[in-house]
Amino acid sequence: MAFEPILLRNIAKPGSETIGSYLASGGYQGLRRVLKEFAPEAFVEEVKASGLRGRGGAGFPTGAKWGFLPKATDRPRYLCVNADESEPGTFKDRLLIEKDPHLVLEGIVLSAYAIRSGTAFFYIRGEFHEGARIFSRALEEARSGGFLGKNILGSGFNLEVIIYRGAGAYICGEETALLESLEGKRGLPRLKPPFPAVVGLYGCPTIINNVETLANVTLIAERGAAWYAGIGRPPKNTGPKLFCLSGHVKRPGVYEAALGVPLMELIHEYALGMMHPDRPLKAVVPGGSSMKILPASKCDVLMDFDSLAAAGTMLGSAGGFVMDSSTCIVDALLNIARFYAHESCGQCTPCREGTGWFVKVLRRLEHGEGRPGDVDLLLDVARKVEGNTICPFGEAIAWPVQSYVEEFREEFDDHVARRACPLARMAAS
Amino acid sequence: MPEPFHPVPIPPTGPAPAPPGLRPDRAPSEPEAAPPAADLPPAGPDEVALLIDGRPAVVKKGTTVLEAAAQVGLIIPHYCYHPGLSVAGNCRMCLVEIEKMPKLQIGCATSAAQGMIVRTRTERVRATRTGIQEFLLINHPLDCPICDQAGECRLQQYEADYGKGYSRFDEEKVHFPKRYAIGRNVMFDAERCIKCTRCIRFCDEISRTGELTLLERGDHTIVGTFPGRPLDNLYSGNTVDICPVGALTWKPFRFKARVWFLRNVPSVCAGCARGCNVDLAEYRNRIHRMTPRVNMDVNRYWMCDEGRMSHAALDDRPRFEGPLLRAACATGPLQPAAWEEALDRAADLLREVADGSGRNALAGIVSARLSVEDLYMAKKVLGEAIGIPRLAVPPHESGEDDDLLIRRDRTPNARGAALIGLGAPDVRRVREILQDAASGRVRGLVVVGEDIMEAGIVAAEALDRLQALVVIDWWKSPTVDLAHVALPACGYGEFDGTLVNFEGRAQRARAAVRPRGEAEPVWRVLRDLGRRFGLGGEYATASGVFDEAAAVLPPIAGLSYRVLGSLGALVKGA
Repeated sequence: MAFEPILLRNIAKPGSETIGSYLASGGYQGLRRVLKEFAPEAFVEEVKASGLRGRGGAGFPTGAKWGFLPKATDRPRYLCVNADESEPGTFKDRLLIEKDPHLVLEGIVLSAYAIRSGTAFFYIRGEFHEGARIFSRALEEARSGGFLGKNILGSGFNLEVIIYRGAGAYICGEETALLESLEGKRGLPRLKPPFPAVVGLYGCPTIINNVETLANVTLIAERGAAWYAGIGRPPKNTGPKLFCLSGHVKRPGVYEAALGVPLMELIHEYALGMMHPDRPLKAVVPGGSSMKILPASKCDVLMDFDSLAAAGTMLGSAGGFVMDSSTCIVDALLNIARFYAHESCGQCTPCREGTGWFVKVLRRLEHGEGRPGDVDLLLDVARKVEGNTICPFGEAIAWPVQSYVEEFREEFDDHVARRACPLARMAAS
Repeated sequence: MPEPFHPVPIPPTGPAPAPPGLRPDRAPSEPEAAPPAADLPPAGPDEVALLIDGRPAVVKKGTTVLEAAAQVGLIIPHYCYHPGLSVAGNCRMCLVEIEKMPKLQIGCATSAAQGMIVRTRTERVRATRTGIQEFLLINHPLDCPICDQAGECRLQQYEADYGKGYSRFDEEKVHFPKRYAIGRNVMFDAERCIKCTRCIRFCDEISRTGELTLLERGDHTIVGTFPGRPLDNLYSGNTVDICPVGALTWKPFRFKARVWFLRNVPSVCAGCARGCNVDLAEYRNRIHRMTPRVNMDVNRYWMCDEGRMSHAALDDRPRFEGPLLRAACATGPLQPAAWEEALDRAADLLREVADGSGRNALAGIVSARLSVEDLYMAKKVLGEAIGIPRLAVPPHESGEDDDLLIRRDRTPNARGAALIGLGAPDVRRVREILQDAASGRVRGLVVVGEDIMEAGIVAAEALDRLQALVVIDWWKSPTVDLAHVALPACGYGEFDGTLVNFEGRAQRARAAVRPRGEAEPVWRVLRDLGRRFGLGGEYATASGVFDEAAAVLPPIAGLSYRVLGSLGALVKGA
């Protein structure tokens, strides 16, 4: 465990959320440098060269995403910050917002400059009261410091940032639902195409970036793409990454490491190992609740986009939860399924109907009322949901169902055969 | 609801019009070898050529795959797509395979592209439709035996086409309000709802009243209204029509008839000068409902609620079953009489006036609610054979034209009256006649299809001095009560005839039910009256009357019932 924090370098300092603290540690120097030395297009190239991939879940290259904006448009372009962090097991953006808001804000100003946007919207999860308050103060500080508003640092670049607080729906973290919500409508994902880069907020070209992604942009501005691209596993998995660890570990929390850190190192060195040393590791969901599960036998894996994809899952939002041998996998899946049934927006048929069906079958299984055929039914329903929905929410529940069943089929079958949860007593104790 | 067994016809936007009423293709799976691109027909500059199930299609750029398929005769099953509404893409029933795209794509939202190869009948597509059906039915109450939509329900139709035939869902269903009066005339059963949002989009985009929205989430999602704002707009019935399932039902039609017993007669609404194309649904000689019939040049897919309920008058208003005569004493009661006797009496009374006071003492009031055929015979008989010098047409106006369908002019045939030579509806001319009747200058009056007591145009006393009041009408109006001779005519839905709408489109209204009692079409009553004044000619059928009118009236020259067809034709000069 030798990684010197970069994204989290400030958070332990007292008053880390204030601009004074941020400036004292060299804050806004990257912005100053970029505004002076880079044309917007040149900075887009710089970000492309860094290899930065989006930290929100899909891992799409950030510079390439910016490049999708139409070159010529008479309409305003918008930057939307996705601070609607809602994926169960994920709590990294919140830390950045509350402990180092200027690191995020500097990234916002840089990104808006890169895409020539004069207005950025900070869409923050409704429950993040503290974050919204802190970020709002950061905006005021930045405005008085000349880092935001008109003619930023004398460059002639203007930017306003508007905070918009969500109303508590998980789906509003999906970028087009976020746009709908931001427009004051019900948060329903849009049909794609057209993609937001072409038709986004209020019908205008829009880029939506995750909080952590933007914080990384600040780092690239500070120290350059070449430096950044040397961190992690170049060329495609570069930079520092925040990993959230929860579940049966001794010290749950947010840990920063280079992309490509071994999962077992995160568990045993960063999170200080299993909570109960006598209970062996059973499984890890490495990327947040919507990602596929890795049984212990597959946990010798590197934590980066491509290594996890090769292992059959995804880095996602890097919200990892660790389960030991006391965990009933059926119960764990039921828990996740209940979340998705509650959060499905209800717009399209497979997701609306399928999520509730999963819960009903899983609840019976867990309560000893499983029937032969139930497990295959789960798989078949998941197959009917997967790929057939408007937005990725369908996969967000279909993938867990498929992978939990595939990796732990015996445990599911056991629930049916015994007409009971074999681990129920253990879990209750 | 007016989508009996087949999807809404999609308006043709390309060369080949969509065959209406094509059933979804049942072929389970027909894997086809990818045809070489050379098979694609050439496309113009604003067009793209693609292959759909091996059928070459050339469509305008921007056409969706679903619409392109319709143009080559393939109806891709769908719930939420409606050609008159924006695309929602939520039902997922129209998912199809498109070569080079790993996921299935929804036909309703995917633009046809040059060289695209679409497959709508593969096993994968079919299995997906089966899956969607299963999803839609797991929380559906399956109460078809008591559902008004049964028989014209897309859930039933597509279940027959793609369903498993049994359910794997053995859990408690989600429960919602049933029999919820979401509006004055619309009942909502939320358990039957499939959340396609057609009704919501109609209220947002067409009526632009915005009463409806989605509430709640997941499988608890429900269509609802905002507090204090029920679904009460002038066009609310269309939400019932476009509801693909039994969630929204039309209160006046609820439980009136099983739809498979209904006989739909294509006709035209007579409620205003728009002339919306409609279907009159008849069962046991009663019109049970009126629904819009697609005519892109007139009403597109819609009609107003007032028009939709206009057929009820036929059953609700008092009728008189046969001719009525006032007994010898002019103040005596009206008594039933035979047609011949009544027509003779009418002729005698009018002749007495003409002989005693001259023809100028005769006048007529005829209605722009009558058909071209009726009005042509009115001109022929009243104006020419009897020689009545003054014939006036009363206007009926209400409110203002709206920007959708409703016209301020509530008569369906004012243009027809004008082109026949009766002049445009003119309240001044009507008042003059009635004033002359009150003063005694007019002593014989023929009123056809109008209730001149209506809206206080004239007081009953004003008609006291008339020696002859002959009324031809379909209902026992206050004017009929004052008549010396009253002759029963067919009401709306009982006659065949032509109406010319405000844009000059001649369209056929058709009989859906047999006339009540001894009622006859107006043109035939007038013909028989005319015979007593030397009228020749055959005049055996409505179409024959129209043919003669077309032969002598230049604006409708060349038109005939065959030419008018089901969508009508513009008169000359329109």
